[in-house]
Amino acid sequence: MSNYDLILSRNSFLLGVELRIFWSVAFLYGLSTLIFLFHILTRRASAGKAAQVLLSVAVVLQAGLILLRTFEAGRAPFQTLYESLSWFAWSASLTYLYISSKWESVYLPGIFVSALSMGACLYALLSRSPAVEPLSPALQSYWFEWHVILAFFSYAVFVVAASVEGAYLIIRPFIKRGSAGGYGLTEGNIEDFHASAFKLVIFGFPFLTFAIFSGAAWANEAWGRYWSWDPKETWSLITWTVFTLYLHSKATPGLKGAPASAFNMLGFVCMMMTFLGVNWLAKLLGIPSLHIYAV
Amino acid sequence: MSISETIRPYILALKSKEGWKALSGWCYRKLSSIWTSVYVLGAMALLFVIGTIFPQGEDFGEYIKAGGRFIDLVGIFGLLDLFTSPLFLILALLLLANLIVCSYERYAALLSGRVFPKGFEPTHILSLTHDIPDAHIEVRRLLRERLGFRLLSKDGDWIVMEKGLSYRWLTWLYHAGIIACFLGFMLTYLFAFEDSITLAPNEAQTVAPSTNGRLQGLFHPKHGPTDFHLLLEDFSTEYSESPELDFPKDKTSRLAIGLGWSKPGYEMKPESLSVKDWRSRIKVVQGGKTLLEKTIEINDPLRFGGYTFYQEGYEQRLKIRVYDNPIPLEVKTDEDAFIPGLDATLKFGTFRTGALHRLDGSVEKIKPFAFVKLKTGEEKYEDIGKIDLGGFLDINGSRVTLVDAAESSVLSYRYDPGVAVLWWSGIFVLVTMSLRFFGGWYRLAYAIDEADSIVMLKLNLNSKGLGADPSRIVRRLERYLTMDDIRPFPLPPE
Ligand code: HEM
Repeated sequence: MSNYDLILSRNSFLLGVELRIFWSVAFLYGLSTLIFLFHILTRRASAGKAAQVLLSVAVVLQAGLILLRTFEAGRAPFQTLYESLSWFAWSASLTYLYISSKWESVYLPGIFVSALSMGACLYALLSRSPAVEPLSPALQSYWFEWHVILAFFSYAVFVVAASVEGAYLIIRPFIKRGSAGGYGLTEGNIEDFHASAFKLVIFGFPFLTFAIFSGAAWANEAWGRYWSWDPKETWSLITWTVFTLYLHSKATPGLKGAPASAFNMLGFVCMMMTFLGVNWLAKLLGIPSLHIYAV
Repeated sequence: MSISETIRPYILALKSKEGWKALSGWCYRKLSSIWTSVYVLGAMALLFVIGTIFPQGEDFGEYIKAGGRFIDLVGIFGLLDLFTSPLFLILALLLLANLIVCSYERYAALLSGRVFPKGFEPTHILSLTHDIPDAHIEVRRLLRERLGFRLLSKDGDWIVMEKGLSYRWLTWLYHAGIIACFLGFMLTYLFAFEDSITLAPNEAQTVAPSTNGRLQGLFHPKHGPTDFHLLLEDFSTEYSESPELDFPKDKTSRLAIGLGWSKPGYEMKPESLSVKDWRSRIKVVQGGKTLLEKTIEINDPLRFGGYTFYQEGYEQRLKIRVYDNPIPLEVKTDEDAFIPGLDATLKFGTFRTGALHRLDGSVEKIKPFAFVKLKTGEEKYEDIGKIDLGGFLDINGSRVTLVDAAESSVLSYRYDPGVAVLWWSGIFVLVTMSLRFFGGWYRLAYAIDEADSIVMLKLNLNSKGLGADPSRIVRRLERYLTMDDIRPFPLPPE
């Protein structure tokens, strides 16, 4: 075998290993989702704890997966959508584990994060190409790593904020009725728990602002125009606007409650649209959208 | 009642000075309300969504050809150019006015000093050992010297102190920074323009600004070409080998790979090349003098004379000889070319030349070549093969020789006075916003009084920012008070 063939077969081998690990990670996220569901149904804290442990194992394994991919590609591992989906699942779960370590026996939001991470992994594995591609000229910039890492960091934080907001909206009526025992949330601590959603958005918002700003600076260097109203750019601005609405609502007496919560959840939906679904609405309405963003 | 009758009283009211005053007062009140910003931001978000549904910048005819529905709607509201439509501009100006009025109002409020309520609800109560005057002195000293609080107000029974960067000022500053960003957008909207220029090797060329900027005349009254020339000294391309992955599309086969039942495989094909870089070595010359020299590439443009020049792409022209015709034909790559001697339409792919970075890390010069296709129908092509520079292919029984190739560099250029304003104000917004959100700010109001001959310190602690930890402030205060004998030692629980 020539040196050349050796490189090709080594790369094929590494990709095979990577895919097996990736499937195992997806499986662990799935299992963790099921055990979180079991926790919700049985109200057993031990189940919540077990799901959390499985989620941690998935995160550690996926950290190895991301390192392997970095080694295979010889660059930061978020050029293709396949790579970004993996990074998204990992950073969201890691952020969730960090935030939830501060709660005592509260596991409710976990199902949202683990299910989303599983979905992201399966989407990457089943629908995207795992081929390692060289970095295209437009991506060869010092902005590449910082813009993407900080954008995904804000995404991860917003995912956890949405999981808290969702859990709060669902459990609060039961707490009021006194029928929400076993979830670690009571009249006494539910508002503090809810406040962490606000804190998370406050934390993520400057990162999202930075991501949009650095994206514009990068576009200005690469394409000569800082803003082109490309669907991806526009969706990032929509996400930013909706989170601005959320923050304003929190400072407006008549909007602090349900409307603010709705804006937070909507912000999450817009964030997912920015990440994945930029042309989905146009397709749904049967409108030709000619600016397909390359992912 | 008819419409004219309904609006008549209002029109009459506007004929008087009072009417105008009332109207402008109403507008001002509305513009200074945070509710207005909620409505306008909401409307903006909706408009943005519409902008992602309709292909922006698309030609109306193309839109219809591509099967676009909603044709009337698109025509009336200018949905294909939504972000320059009057609807968008009015909303943006409304938001700007809202922001300016709010910032002005809050600025006035910030400068006029704050008036605090006479009484606060205590959030913590601590008992003290000193009498009231001594306790006052000691508590104030501790708060100032040990905890770093500064005095805000001592009206009424409560003394109000603060610590950290004032969040009110920070919030005000980043709102003001957003106004400055708007200024940058406006400069771009009004004065920016762009175009492209194709540079053939060693042929000096001036930049003749196109006239697509909205108020460009104010900046370039003559619309004449620039007094400097651009000279392309060298244009080079680099490729890297990018093996193709043989990977199944169907989900079951993919799962089988995940389970280790089958393996993915990379393979190298002659066409598996991907562009690594395009570079142009450019000289800026004026009156025979070189003013600047730079090699530009994507992400590394050239800035000169207020313009920025970007490497956009390249244009390739091939010289081909059909059979032994003495006059060669010139064709552009990646475009259909009817070849008279052949009576057929050919399409020459990108002419590959330059350096090739191979998988094993070695770099070699590419033996220049292009792929050739024969057009067999509308958007249908048949692969014919690869042609080397100086080599030939037999097509339809005739020999086609690739005699020569020339590359020009395509640059886009842009003039945009908004960028600098936007950058500085954007950085300012980021910094002030980060200080506001990640920093910590406290407002502590305290009162010392006596009840049943026990001296009490009542605290009302308020905080903003993620860096603030109010319980830590209270803990530290308790510790210092105890250490300095101002607070009784807590008794162990019985
Ligand atoms: C482009 C428009 C605007 C943006 C992007 C924006 C952004 C923000 C953000 C992110 C916050 C929450 C952070 C904080 O509490 O410091 C905020 C708060 C606030 N904004 Fe705006 N804003 C805009 C326009 C306005 C306008 C027009 C008004 C005036 C009505 C306004 C009034 C306020 C107020 C009163 C707060 C509460 C600040 C506080 O916590 O004291 N904003 N704004």
